[in-house]
Amino acid sequence: MTEMLNMVGQWMPRLLDGLWLSLQVTGVSLVLGIAGGLALAVLALSRKRPVRILSTVVTEIGRGTPALVMLQFVYFGLPQTGIMLEGFAAAATALTLTTAAYTSEIIRAGLKSVPQGELEASSALGISRRDSLRFIIIPQGMRIAIPSLLGFSILMFQVSSLAFTIGLPELLSQAYSIGASNFRYLEVLTVAGLLYLAVTIPAGWFTRRVERKMSQHL
Amino acid sequence: MTTSNPLTPEQETATPAVELDGIRLRYGNHLALKDVSLELAAGEVMAMIGPSGSGKSSLLRCINLLERPESGILRVFGQSVPLEREIAAKELAQLRRKVGMVFQSFNLFPHLPVLRNITLPQERVLKRSRDEAEARARELLERVGLGDKADAYPGKLSGGQQQRVAIARALAMDPRVLLFDEPTSALDPELGIEVLAVMRDLAETGVTMMVVTHEIHFAADVADRIVVMADGQILEQGDPDQVLTDPQTERTQRFLRAVKDR
Amino acid sequence: MSILLALLYGIPVTVGVTACSFLIGMVLAAFLALGVRSRHSALGALSRATIDVLRGIPPVVFLFIIFFGIGNQLLRMNPFTAAVIGLGLISAGHLAEIYRGGLSAVHKGQYEASSALGLTGADTMGRIIAPQAFRVALPGMTTYAISLIKDSSIVSTIGVAEIMFIANQSARSGADGLTPFLIAAAIYILLGTPLAWAARSVEAKLHVRISR
Repeated sequence: MTEMLNMVGQWMPRLLDGLWLSLQVTGVSLVLGIAGGLALAVLALSRKRPVRILSTVVTEIGRGTPALVMLQFVYFGLPQTGIMLEGFAAAATALTLTTAAYTSEIIRAGLKSVPQGELEASSALGISRRDSLRFIIIPQGMRIAIPSLLGFSILMFQVSSLAFTIGLPELLSQAYSIGASNFRYLEVLTVAGLLYLAVTIPAGWFTRRVERKMSQHL
Repeated sequence: MTTSNPLTPEQETATPAVELDGIRLRYGNHLALKDVSLELAAGEVMAMIGPSGSGKSSLLRCINLLERPESGILRVFGQSVPLEREIAAKELAQLRRKVGMVFQSFNLFPHLPVLRNITLPQERVLKRSRDEAEARARELLERVGLGDKADAYPGKLSGGQQQRVAIARALAMDPRVLLFDEPTSALDPELGIEVLAVMRDLAETGVTMMVVTHEIHFAADVADRIVVMADGQILEQGDPDQVLTDPQTERTQRFLRAVKDR
Repeated sequence: MSILLALLYGIPVTVGVTACSFLIGMVLAAFLALGVRSRHSALGALSRATIDVLRGIPPVVFLFIIFFGIGNQLLRMNPFTAAVIGLGLISAGHLAEIYRGGLSAVHKGQYEASSALGLTGADTMGRIIAPQAFRVALPGMTTYAISLIKDSSIVSTIGVAEIMFIANQSARSGADGLTPFLIAAAIYILLGTPLAWAARSVEAKLHVRISR
């Protein structure tokens, strides 16, 4: 037992480095991706049909493509077109695209749930479409979307583990390479699993709390 | 109020506040307004009554183009509003600056405090400075008896208070006519009274108002004229006393009996 | 062209992994969902924890634990078996949450009416509650099935020769590193589409039946 603990102690620095990198790549992808998702969602509300269609097509392609395909495409496929990205940039790019597609659906639902009456009030007050998007629809729509966006963020953190396939030394890569060197796959991968849980389970509690709080306010 | 300064009688007869002529509105296959014509004089307070589904709210919503009639003529303080073509954004903005509206469901912006609900449209539409907008908002909140609620969120207010804020928000835009779409229908009777009191006060200071309502007493006491609608048409109109005590059509008699017997 | 043909061979494998995992998940999830609602608090807590663990660990980590961890050290298994066990367990966690949502959407009055009529607990659950809960859960289940098709691409990492695996291989071996991924993406999108259509029409039908 103590031997086991010693081993885990030896692995921990590398695993924690990996975890930190997982969190970084997730964070960057979420920030950029949610901004992209908001842009797609706003375009989906456009009065111009071609714009709406474009937004829908981009969203559906992004949602229909597995994150793993997106990662491999960016890392192994894009260099052929002259775009070379190293591991972190490639992972962040791929996960940003996936995030944008998924969150645009979530945000669109949020924007649409702003009551019709408020939109009527804002047009009766003479507020322009742009302004009512900026001051009325987006602030409320984003707020309504928060619980779902938090849930999605937890999912994205899990998805970041796929970046090991392009050699990014995140948590899973670290665990796997430790396992490959000492054949203690079960132990080290289990520890890695527990580290993922140490993030996802509290994050899940937090999300549920936010959800409850917000449903009380409405 | 700066722009609702009392007009001279000559001007009143010269330009009506609202002119509707042959307004026809359709929802799918249903003809909601059947060529309705109506004129509202500047400074006049008009009450529109009638059974639900009679088209009175639709008619009101045509005036600021929340509903688009398929044909007819609409003029607001002399500005004629094109109904046969898509209206330009600029014309629409012009129209809506003249026409304020108060809704049945208040439609305050729940994510903004009361004060911000009133200042945001002033800043964005009228390009007023923050200070100017706030001063105006506070003055109006005082006027509707809610001077102490400036920082509250709408969700924390009673329905009657929310509706008074909505009135202040509409007034802050200095509209030349105010439309009320069943302003007390969503309220408990007790809370309705405080809203009606504010409206009565507005009527007395010469604000031009068109009020769709079920409050017969308010219509009788405050309105200069009552218009009775049913089935997308105007049944009759005239002096409140005359319409309420001596209705000319059988349909109006039936409606008034139903209202009074409750 | 040959790339496309090669990738087409991956389709039955992808569909097979997805379908087997989903079926395993559907069955196990029923136990987990009932466990969470059980009156024994220990069983409830255990079920809850199981669901949280299954949902909280990234699927690929789970697969690795099963294939490399358990597979190397305890119990040999081929990649396909490991894939189906791994995704099946994960599906069980997700579907249990979906079932739970369906069960809690059934009105309390239904239980009260059932016991007032003298129905047994099993009859109440099997004939009254579950059928109603199923209707509520169905949209969530199809959404999950669609996402499982895409998630199944991760089994390529343990060597199951499905669409993603073949795409990766041909991208690395051939001159064209881009096309295989584009085709793979298109296939995944096409695989999800009929399910999405089916889901929509079933939902519409159920909606009609309930609202009648």
